[in-house]
Amino acid sequence: MATRVGAWQPLVTRWGPLVVLALALMFPLGANSYWLTVGIGILTFAMLGLGLNLVVGYAGLLDLGYAAFYAIGAYTTALLSTVGHMTFWETLPFAVACSAIAGVIVGYPTLRLRSDYLAIVTLGFGEIVRITATNLGFTGGPNGIYAIPAPSIMGYQFFSQDSQYYLAVAFLLVVLFFTRHLAHSRLGRAWLSLREDESASEAVGVPSVRVKLWAYVFGAIFGGLAGAFFAARLTAISPDSFTYTQSINILMVVVLGGMASFPGVLLGAAVVVGLPEILRFMQLWRLFVFAIGLVALMLLRPQGIWPAASRKENPFGPGSERKLGPPLPLEALARSRDGDGEDAALDVSGLRRRFGGVLAVDDVAFSVRPGEICGIIGPNGAGKTTVFNCITGVTRPDGGDVRLHGHSLRGQTPHQVVGVGLSRTFQGIRLFKNMAVYENVLVGMYPHQRATVVDSLLHTGRQRREERDSLLRCQALLRFCGLEGLAGHRASELSYGDQRRLEIARALAAQPKVLLLDEPAAGMNPSEKQALMGLVRRIRDLGVTVVLIDHDMNLVMGVSDHVVVLDRGRKIADGTPREILADERVVDAYLGRDENDEEVNAWPS
Amino acid sequence: MSVFVQYLVNGLTIGSFYALVALGYTMIYGIIRLINFAHGDLFMVGAFAGWLVVAAAAGMHLPVAMQLLLALLIAMLAVGLLAMGIERVAYQPLLKSSRLSILITALGVSLALENGAMIAFGAGFDTFPANILPLTGFHLFGAQVGYVQVAMFALALLLMVGLYLFVQFTPVGTAMRALSFDQDAARLMGINVEGVVLITFLLGGSLAAASGVMMGLYYTQINFMMGFLMGLRAFTAAVLGGIGNIPGAMVGGLLIGVLQSLSAGYISSQWQDVIVFAVLILVLVFKPTGIFGERVVERM
Repeated sequence: MATRVGAWQPLVTRWGPLVVLALALMFPLGANSYWLTVGIGILTFAMLGLGLNLVVGYAGLLDLGYAAFYAIGAYTTALLSTVGHMTFWETLPFAVACSAIAGVIVGYPTLRLRSDYLAIVTLGFGEIVRITATNLGFTGGPNGIYAIPAPSIMGYQFFSQDSQYYLAVAFLLVVLFFTRHLAHSRLGRAWLSLREDESASEAVGVPSVRVKLWAYVFGAIFGGLAGAFFAARLTAISPDSFTYTQSINILMVVVLGGMASFPGVLLGAAVVVGLPEILRFMQLWRLFVFAIGLVALMLLRPQGIWPAASRKENPFGPGSERKLGPPLPLEALARSRDGDGEDAALDVSGLRRRFGGVLAVDDVAFSVRPGEICGIIGPNGAGKTTVFNCITGVTRPDGGDVRLHGHSLRGQTPHQVVGVGLSRTFQGIRLFKNMAVYENVLVGMYPHQRATVVDSLLHTGRQRREERDSLLRCQALLRFCGLEGLAGHRASELSYGDQRRLEIARALAAQPKVLLLDEPAAGMNPSEKQALMGLVRRIRDLGVTVVLIDHDMNLVMGVSDHVVVLDRGRKIADGTPREILADERVVDAYLGRDENDEEVNAWPS
Repeated sequence: MSVFVQYLVNGLTIGSFYALVALGYTMIYGIIRLINFAHGDLFMVGAFAGWLVVAAAAGMHLPVAMQLLLALLIAMLAVGLLAMGIERVAYQPLLKSSRLSILITALGVSLALENGAMIAFGAGFDTFPANILPLTGFHLFGAQVGYVQVAMFALALLLMVGLYLFVQFTPVGTAMRALSFDQDAARLMGINVEGVVLITFLLGGSLAAASGVMMGLYYTQINFMMGFLMGLRAFTAAVLGGIGNIPGAMVGGLLIGVLQSLSAGYISSQWQDVIVFAVLILVLVFKPTGIFGERVVERM
């Protein structure tokens, strides 16, 4: 359900946050101590929600034990300030570090698990942390830790409700600042791409395990920060505050508000903490009514109260030049072949792959010269896609070697293969459907971007320069593929042919030496195919070697300099299109013997 | 030795209760990929339904065997229908939405069932009549084995075998298995997807209710929050066995029961959940799809 960008949208985005901030700052003027406590609760949950939003909303990893990080931050601050006699501010780095380490400990061994298994592992971890805190002596057992000193700045103690409320607002603003920066960085886009389609993300060059681990670590850091604040504010903590139910409440904040939506998380926190308080007059019925309300709300708005905008403003629209500078000429996309060396662009030798009893690829060898267009044809089940998968590291070959300009790709994971200079598209389109067109292309640039995690967190000058350069390059790529006007659309809104072209633009974003196209013309009508052939030639003219698989003989024979024919896992012919058409074995195996060869004659040669 | 056997016997008894609830988790996950967080609470509702029936039947002076049979059957039917109603109202409209929104709905249903039960039955404990079950038993390798334990274990096993046969050999069971592989293809083959999903909830709910009635009789005390821990452990059992896999849930349930009983006996009951979760995490790290789970191959 697309929320249209209305005329009111710019007004809301510009003034909305300021109005909310002003209201939040004025809240203590009109609130009694009870509602101030509720307010601080909402602010704390908003911090937690923002942290968990990175994990669940952005990276798409279901975490049912997030309260563990909250607990670790709280206990670190509590212990260091009571036993270690540190001030609150001195404990903060330790609280953050301990939760980050915990994030690595849970994340590292488990991130290869599928998401539902991850859910139970995080649940288990959350329970382990809570039970451990309940049963150990130095954490105060079930009673927890008392007499934690309140935070103070230059002698001013944050004792009063008002001061604590403002401290919470300050903490929330800090968390908001950093989480927003992360969300609008290469890391944030990589997270979203993982949520949309993990294997596609890996295949366009995103190191999925490392990127997921960062989501965990940052989620843990902000959870720990909220925990530290919580401990110092209450001056007493016990394991009861960090139960599984609490983890679930934080998850509700994120999903109820709207995944990957910042205003959504803030609203979600207000509803999850505030609504049960408003319903307090119902006494016994309070939580029952809240639960029914929760179900009703999800039924009415499955995407959350304030979902993330599904369509973005076109970043290359009128006036974009002022922000980005003049558009790049298309020539800027050309790559120099100077450093490529003398070797073949792609050299496949002795490639073998067996699936159970079927030898899908049997001793296939071929070589692609730099700058040529190589077509691979063969009947269904000939092993074409398996050859692609073996080349790109998706499937591990049983034997043989693949060399890209002389560098062996053996044993490389898909994202490493992209880093070396080999990109691909997919037989079935695999775009990041709920991301904008330009964002899809930007994800493809991940392997070449150099902004570090710290750059992303702070939006340093280097990061901003790189983002601007990436956007300009993205603009040129989209223009090259004829998609510039659609840059702000959601990828799933594009027509079929446009989606195919977007996949090509995304693959080109990684600046490949060699581009593999897996059935790029599937499902296209003749005029679209004609345009595609033009596009493939223009890609070759940029200095990119192209290898393509397709069923369409007109297309393959018309565009290729060199054709490889596979049949039942073996290579049966290799030569120019003219040689292939004259080859008896090809005609036998693939084209079939026809009495009147009208069709064959119709092919361009 | 005798102590070990005693822990084993107790663990298997509790484990069979876990297994019955785990089956519901695994079946529902298998066909609609939902972790039904309300499932543990259906177990709780089952226990209360059984308790109400026993109280009513005792009031009518029915023989004990009759009381128990009625409690079991009525609880299973009532909770099965309740599960169907929940699916129809709260889950079905969301089957096409994001999987997280339906998960939150399930959490909402869970909260509603818990608080509904608290409003209806109070926040304290209710007890089954203490003398309703025989306390006699026999000795096995020096361990005390109650007839009740044997009977409950056998009944649980019977229900599980019945379910397995149903899923394997009836048309509806075949449809359920087809749905778990590919819902759209199943629909195209003419399977009434909504109907099959409802039947799955009926089965899952009644198995949870059976477990609830037995657990209530076994420990005699029931409470509105009893479904919470049960849900957690049964879910763990389902994942341990390989979620979506029916024999896996049975084995997982028994394993969790035994593991818990052994760690409570030999180490400390305070740490039993830590040990259970630690074992689960270790299993998943080395066998990421659980004990019986199959590797899901993704197509490019």
